[in-house]
Amino acid sequence: MNKKPIGSTYLEGERVPHFRSLSDFEYREIYDQSDWHGELPAPGVYPFTRGIHKDMYRGRLWTRRQQSGFGTPEESNERIKFLLKVGQTGVNMDVDIATKSGLDPDYPLAQGDVGLQGTSLCTYEDMKALYKDIPLDQVSSTLIIQPPYSAIIMAHYLLLARESGIPWERLVGTIMNCALTQYVGPTFQANTSFFPIDQAIKIGLDVMEYMLSCSPRWNIININGYNIRETGVNAIQEAAFSLSLAADYIKGLIKRGLDVDSFAQRMAFFSAAHIDLFEEVAKLRAMRRIWARMLKEKFGARNEKSLWFRTAIQTSALPLTAQQPLNNIVRAAIQTLAAVLAGTQSIHTTGYDEAYSLPTEESQKLSIRTQQIIGYETRVVNAVDPLGGSYLVESLTDEIEEKVWELMKVIEDRGGFVQCFKDGWVEEQINEARYKFAQATDTGEQPVVGVNIFRDEEEDIKINIFRHSFDMQTKRIQYIQSYRKNRNQESVKKALDTLYKLIRRQTEKNMVEPIMEAVSAKATLQEICDAMRQAADFVIPS
Amino acid sequence: MTLKKKRIIIGKIGLDSHDNGIRIVSKWLMDSGYEVIYAGLYNTPERIIQMAVQEDVDAIGVSFLGGEHLFYADKLITLLRKKEMGDVKLIIGGVIPPTDVDELKKCGVDAVFTPGTMRETIIRTINDLFADQIS
Repeated sequence: MNKKPIGSTYLEGERVPHFRSLSDFEYREIYDQSDWHGELPAPGVYPFTRGIHKDMYRGRLWTRRQQSGFGTPEESNERIKFLLKVGQTGVNMDVDIATKSGLDPDYPLAQGDVGLQGTSLCTYEDMKALYKDIPLDQVSSTLIIQPPYSAIIMAHYLLLARESGIPWERLVGTIMNCALTQYVGPTFQANTSFFPIDQAIKIGLDVMEYMLSCSPRWNIININGYNIRETGVNAIQEAAFSLSLAADYIKGLIKRGLDVDSFAQRMAFFSAAHIDLFEEVAKLRAMRRIWARMLKEKFGARNEKSLWFRTAIQTSALPLTAQQPLNNIVRAAIQTLAAVLAGTQSIHTTGYDEAYSLPTEESQKLSIRTQQIIGYETRVVNAVDPLGGSYLVESLTDEIEEKVWELMKVIEDRGGFVQCFKDGWVEEQINEARYKFAQATDTGEQPVVGVNIFRDEEEDIKINIFRHSFDMQTKRIQYIQSYRKNRNQESVKKALDTLYKLIRRQTEKNMVEPIMEAVSAKATLQEICDAMRQAADFVIPS
Repeated sequence: MTLKKKRIIIGKIGLDSHDNGIRIVSKWLMDSGYEVIYAGLYNTPERIIQMAVQEDVDAIGVSFLGGEHLFYADKLITLLRKKEMGDVKLIIGGVIPPTDVDELKKCGVDAVFTPGTMRETIIRTINDLFADQIS
């Protein structure tokens, strides 16, 4: 099986197959002054190589933010409360793929997927159930949803705050809100099948503009570099794609007449921490520098906070294995350490059961404990940017920065990331990368313990595996059907007609309020989306 | 292999858009002499079966990463029986717990591949499904 077997006889000694990084940099045997002898501005000082804060984790630890969501909103509410109880410090609400596609649970193509990869959420009452007993001004929430559906979920959240008497200015959180990366990265078919892409981007910008005007502490977008990386692309591509896409959104907001300093500090990223520890640390340090330079030099930002590259991290699931699943606990701990050493703002540590199902409570608790052990026991948080000044890390940071700028230039010359996506160029890059990644595992070039080396041939998997409640999908289908029957149909129709006409006229009007009206009138997620789809003459898969 | 290339339709059913696996396996199959009809995302079981008939395939390969495997495998098997397509092999891949792998096989799925299955194992297993047809 291993075409390049790893030398592991007792006489020869054990050696790894090569010394390249995951993204194909050749690690040198030793790093010294000849590799790096630059200046290193202090943490909290432009271009923020050493972190955006002077005191970093001495001031406050990163946020522990495990994604959660499955089944009914009521079930997810229980899980969120469990996570907060064991030490999670931020809510990270994930919806199911039907919700992410703007479909209600009874849509035929959606029925088999309801509640599986996230919670099913399609009415205002669902949002109320999801956040039951969780005061919106006491937690920071990340809402994992992309446009145009982000406008609907944001409307649910804002209406819930209003009903609870919480002023919108006091809301703290993030809406992911990126039209190109939320499904499974920027793959073409997934991102273009359920809504026209230009309209989706437009409504995404509407959400950003709306939130800036009414909720100053809310993060208006999170560029999902994590999902980009999970397709199999390398660290350079992850960074360059994410930052180029961010540049497109910045241009879009500037075109609407907004000053860059009015929104840049509310933009953030969601990045991956893969298994190559130093490369991942260097990648995130390089991304901080590029963001700062891009914002200052290219977009003319003057407010220092606009120059802060803020990112959430999820430890990448690609290196995790179904074989010997307990090994994943070790991998995820090292990946979490990489995220901490890189100076991230929040972390989701991926569960060891990732290759089997959604995480169990046990697995999610372990993810939180992993972060707490790193945070409280290891002392790695005591000094800011502890790897700063390392010849290796600094030289790798420089090298990655250079390569990322180069690739960003290629993307810019092709008209920007959105254009590259529409042209199919991104799709080509992704496909090439995923074959290469699979090939590397297959040939043993990328050693994976338990998979292509150190296998257990007759392995009996003994971990607990998450199970959905058996009648959950039926319940959700019945719920939405009865919801549609029991409401004032006249006001639903009126709100949807208004929405239809606005889209039909191709108005530049911000769509958040008309969408909020439709939500208040008890229109469901899919009804709102369908009104907009019909107005755009857009047909979805059935 | 036989003189005539074996034909396999590869795709995803329902809304799960995790297509990394089917993309890679499609390429591996083509590299190994199979003819792949790539059906992409968002198919219904009915559409996959209909395409299987039209394209006169020898096997159907679908993957599930979100836990939809039992729901859709059941529908596929029912349709295959109804259309008397017993000779068409059904291959399923993806994130599938061990107990469900047994369950799927018991229901008549010919092969199940979970994450980390090596290329060689996949190709050998699929070749073996057609062993009796090799001249």
